[in-house]
Amino acid sequence: MLQMIRVGGGLGVIAALTVLIFGGWSSAVIGWLLGAGAGLIACQGKRVSTLLGGALLGSRVGFTLGGWILVAALLEGFLLRRISGQPAVPLLQPWLAGLLGLGLAGLSGTVMGALQSLGQRIWATRGLLAIGLLLFPLVDRWAATKWTAAVIQMMIFIMLALGLNIVVGFAGLLDLGYAAFFAIGAYTTGFLSSSQLGIQGNFWLVIWASAAVAALFGVILGAPTLRLRGDYLAIVTLGFGEIIPVVFRNLTSIKIYEPISSLVATIANRPELALCLVGCVKPLNLTGGEAGINPIGRPYLPGIGEFQPTNDLPWYYLILVLLVLAYFIIGRLRDSRLGRAWTAIREDELAASAMGINLVKTKLLAFAMGATFSGFAGAFYAAYISAIFPSVFDFSVSVIILCMVILGGLGNMTGVILGGIIIMAADRLYLPQLAQVLKGILTTSVFPGVANPQLRDFLATSVDPIQMRLLLFGLTLVIMMIVRPEGLVPDAVHQAELHQVEAELLPQEVKSV
Amino acid sequence: MKQWQSILLYCGAAYLILLLGPIAGLDIPRIVGEIAKSPEVLIQQLLVGLVNGAIIAIIALGYTLVYGIIELINFAHGDLYMLGAFASLSMVGMFNVQDGSPLQAGLLPMLAALVVSSVFCAGLNMLAERYAYRPLRNAPRLAPLISAIGVSFIFINVGLFWGGLRILFPIMGANAAAPKSFPDLLPRIDILKALGIQTSITFTTKDLIVLVVAIVLMVGLNLFVNYTKPGKAMRATAQNRDAARIMGINVNQIIALTFLIGGALAGAAGLLVGLYNNTVVFTMGFTAGLRAFTAAVLGGIGNIVGAMLGGVLIGVLSALSDQYLSSRWTNAWVFAVLVIILAFRPGGLLGENVQEKV
Repeated sequence: MLQMIRVGGGLGVIAALTVLIFGGWSSAVIGWLLGAGAGLIACQGKRVSTLLGGALLGSRVGFTLGGWILVAALLEGFLLRRISGQPAVPLLQPWLAGLLGLGLAGLSGTVMGALQSLGQRIWATRGLLAIGLLLFPLVDRWAATKWTAAVIQMMIFIMLALGLNIVVGFAGLLDLGYAAFFAIGAYTTGFLSSSQLGIQGNFWLVIWASAAVAALFGVILGAPTLRLRGDYLAIVTLGFGEIIPVVFRNLTSIKIYEPISSLVATIANRPELALCLVGCVKPLNLTGGEAGINPIGRPYLPGIGEFQPTNDLPWYYLILVLLVLAYFIIGRLRDSRLGRAWTAIREDELAASAMGINLVKTKLLAFAMGATFSGFAGAFYAAYISAIFPSVFDFSVSVIILCMVILGGLGNMTGVILGGIIIMAADRLYLPQLAQVLKGILTTSVFPGVANPQLRDFLATSVDPIQMRLLLFGLTLVIMMIVRPEGLVPDAVHQAELHQVEAELLPQEVKSV
Repeated sequence: MKQWQSILLYCGAAYLILLLGPIAGLDIPRIVGEIAKSPEVLIQQLLVGLVNGAIIAIIALGYTLVYGIIELINFAHGDLYMLGAFASLSMVGMFNVQDGSPLQAGLLPMLAALVVSSVFCAGLNMLAERYAYRPLRNAPRLAPLISAIGVSFIFINVGLFWGGLRILFPIMGANAAAPKSFPDLLPRIDILKALGIQTSITFTTKDLIVLVVAIVLMVGLNLFVNYTKPGKAMRATAQNRDAARIMGINVNQIIALTFLIGGALAGAAGLLVGLYNNTVVFTMGFTAGLRAFTAAVLGGIGNIVGAMLGGVLIGVLSALSDQYLSSRWTNAWVFAVLVIILAFRPGGLLGENVQEKV
């Protein structure tokens, strides 16, 4: 019962917040998504024997959640819209939206709960998840919530997080410069399918080339770090993460002379002897500097035509396919001989090498595999945005990806995906929307009552969630580390380690008292 | 046979550097020519690098102290220094002194700013230690590191807010995120000209003051750590926390003291940079912190003398790179040198290469 309230309430707060700030038909979408999630969580770790029992469990949390949604929808429709200065809606609409949300939440909770009673519950869950993912953009379009674009970005970052998880979570190599590989993947796509170098490659081939180049750089950048341990490794990867954007920013006028011949030319004072290799007539502009490469070719499929920036659907399904593929491959890798070698290295490098694991090969493969997936993500990103700039790939991106991995649960793929969803949803969906709503409230309800222009000015600049983005992010990290350092969905091995540490320490602490 | 292979490898690497180096400004014939033409510029850049390096070294000391004692990369340290600069600016702003006012008028604001900024940063650092790092002392290595990154984000955001507090500190100017100008209070007398030496090199009293303050702080810290009782306790805690506890050292207090000293140094560095560069911006902590951290690692993290050496090296390197290579590539060169040094000496320049115990 307690768990019921916790699940229904915890997700209920999120659902209510969503409905409050987004309004409209978002109640139906969020009720549908979170209802299923609540039904799943409610049955987690329980033996659900009958179809009816599961349905009952699921429907209870589903309808609790729905209650939150209904209240929030009414509040939004009758109160928040007025004080934030949005146009009023017909009297019936908030009721309709709220009740639809309630019904959908209850229904999807019930169905999810009932499915958990089946013998193959994992396949039932996966099937439902697949249906949900396939339907999502259509539902989103129908409900006019406009979340698909943010979800595509979310999936790109989840893919990056899954790749980083190989390096940090599986192999235990702390990489603080992972955005470098993202950049390499994106720029490779930029070079191979834009007018920058005059190559218009086919996206379906270029994406493989980008992954391969990223993997190659994973090995190249991984090689100098092989001897380093722990924090030194972290700082060298951070260094690479800083170098790569500088390189892309500055490769704008390349002119290469063959060094020996140019030395001879200088000594003999006959400049015509110097052998020019690249950029002889006009210095080669490889990366476009700060302005980046723009435009980049988009993928083309028969039947759909070229993917258009205005239509999110093909992009959504493409990144979905890539993500599912990545999830499948990484899952297989984790359970393979290589994956077990990574775990062994993470646990104890020395013991692993004594057991006959080739450290150099295994570590480099970890870097290469991690970089491969960021190469895919980078290629997709470049094609999707159709432009790339060096400023997109700086340190904060590496840190955000690392935070997704750690927030969700180091080493656990489900956790990493969850972490990615939470951080990206907060960053790309909730904060901008919240900022808009708060601004509306300020201008319509607060400012008429504030006389002092200085105070008004101060309020306008400081009550801005976008400005507080880093603060919220930092607080989340600190609190998360203190309350639950193993992440939201911890990896079994990692959690066992944590508890082992506690168990070992406890007697010592007692003795010292 | 093996020898030949490695010689061949080095030759290949050298050729590659000669081939690709000019893209990033490493055009050796040109550089040699420039140095031969005016060696004074080289000396000038060395001096600039020395002064900048001294400031970097002060920040690097904060990293190295903390790392030495609890093996934590305190990511928030660079941003703490940024907050120190903001605290100094706010303090100086209260005295309402103008650019280039006489030393007598500027002395009191500067001293007040030094005290306030150091105390503020020391307190803030101790708070961060108490609430963000101490609960994680027995957690896996990654947890306090992430916590420190979180604290760093919080500090950056606090800096952004602080910059928008025009109501309290008019000196902050209209735009919260824009760089703020710091009053130019240090006297700017060219020492070499005053001494009657005819040269194009300029070395002003401003440079000298910054250099002297930095050296005094570093020497003081060294004396403190090596010759006082709390310093001894710090070294003992760094070596073995449990043994130190058995010997009756209050480990928590000593760690808090370390954060206090590191924070005070960051505050002093914030003031120095404000006075030296005359501009303060909320993002400056990240770049400076990264350089300082690189300096600490370069010298061998945990080693106080190493941090000073690393700081000066990084300062000189970036000054030379700005002049002779290409200022756009300086960041890449700094990190490239770091990577190369760590690849050959994985423990830093003065760090010990600890043999792994089984």
